[in-house]
Amino acid sequence: MIRLRVPALLLLVLAACFAGAVSARAQMAADTSLTAPPVAPPLKQGSPLWHLTYDVKLVQPTPGYREGETGGTDFFIGHRGIDNEGGQGWGWLRKSTDDWGDGKWIALQETPGVAVAPWRKLTTRNGDADWEFKMWGHYASYKAYDPHLDELLPVFVLQGYQVIGVTAPLRGMRVGAPNRPQSRSSGASSRSSNPIPSGQGID
Amino acid sequence: MRLLSLFLAIFLIGSLTLSAQTGEHVVVTGGPALRFMEHGKDASHDFYWFNFIDASTIWLKQIKSTAPAGDLVTWLVYKPSYVSRSQELGMDLLPQIVQKAHELGVNLLWFEDKEQLINYLNQGQDRDKMKIVSFDYFGHSNKACFLFDYSNRIDTMSIAYLHVIDLKHIHGHDFARDAVCKSWGCHSGEMYSKWWKDEFGVPMTGAIGKTDFSHGGLPALSDANCRWSE
Repeated sequence: MIRLRVPALLLLVLAACFAGAVSARAQMAADTSLTAPPVAPPLKQGSPLWHLTYDVKLVQPTPGYREGETGGTDFFIGHRGIDNEGGQGWGWLRKSTDDWGDGKWIALQETPGVAVAPWRKLTTRNGDADWEFKMWGHYASYKAYDPHLDELLPVFVLQGYQVIGVTAPLRGMRVGAPNRPQSRSSGASSRSSNPIPSGQGID
Repeated sequence: MRLLSLFLAIFLIGSLTLSAQTGEHVVVTGGPALRFMEHGKDASHDFYWFNFIDASTIWLKQIKSTAPAGDLVTWLVYKPSYVSRSQELGMDLLPQIVQKAHELGVNLLWFEDKEQLINYLNQGQDRDKMKIVSFDYFGHSNKACFLFDYSNRIDTMSIAYLHVIDLKHIHGHDFARDAVCKSWGCHSGEMYSKWWKDEFGVPMTGAIGKTDFSHGGLPALSDANCRWSE
């Protein structure tokens, strides 16, 4: 009888250790300590976010308008495009000396305080579709990951632009990354069954 | 019966010895978007600059209170997004993060790209002796990526992320066989968890659907259609 108790006791101790370890993690998840997030300090007058919030918005760009550093002779031509698959690329870009056959679909990295995307001055994000711009800046050494479509885009760092005007849509130009499947999901994308754009208040 | 008792005694001693070995608890925290980038969107992210930091500190506090003595607790924070959000806010957030880490008594390490993170996981400790026993991620994500940067440098995009195809660069050897891993971000349970388990042999809990950090505290599943999965 005594001999039987020893292994039983050992088993009991082992089980208790295992159960304790599991329940500790479960208990941790139950403690959430909810507190209200603090309120942001007031916007600094003249900051990029202040301008974005309070400047009067236009319906469409103003031909000839310049923003940022636009003095150099080495510039690009940008054609604003819209990605109907939900991607967040800006449009096509080519060197001023190239033709559109050498154009690339790019992600636009803005430089708040210097030059930001032309649509920031408009009432709608797509209000500059098929408008063209002279653009100053450079390609970044890194690429941008678009989580909506699970693809990588070249990044153009915008330093300045000048509005040229509205043009006809570009024909024969592919939207998105060069390797984007044209008729099927990539599989790793989040768009197929669970689109990533999230609801109000979701972080 | 004596043989059985002996076997159980050896097993018990072995188990106690294993649990007495030190392990490392790793918490990785991504950065917030800029309000400039998120301004005016229907789904506007990161009104609060420390949504991920606060959730992380709550979790770290719980780890500290339950981890065996001698365990290492390491907090890896993606720095560039907090630098730029500080500039936007006009308030230096970095010393506040350092202070939180100091108060918690955890090791704070900044990282600026995925290579630094991977390097720490693989080489930051002697992984023959110091296994990762728990791993938690707080930050933006989709089902294929941890997005350390999101809508901070480029509107609605990321320049710093850990994609499922990057997981092959992290050694499975880094993790204890019974490591407990969780992503608190959105959608990880839809793809990332499976790749994680396949790569490292340990499960990672992730959300099917979205998680909500906006109310402070640890994130909750966004609605009744969401659930946690491995």
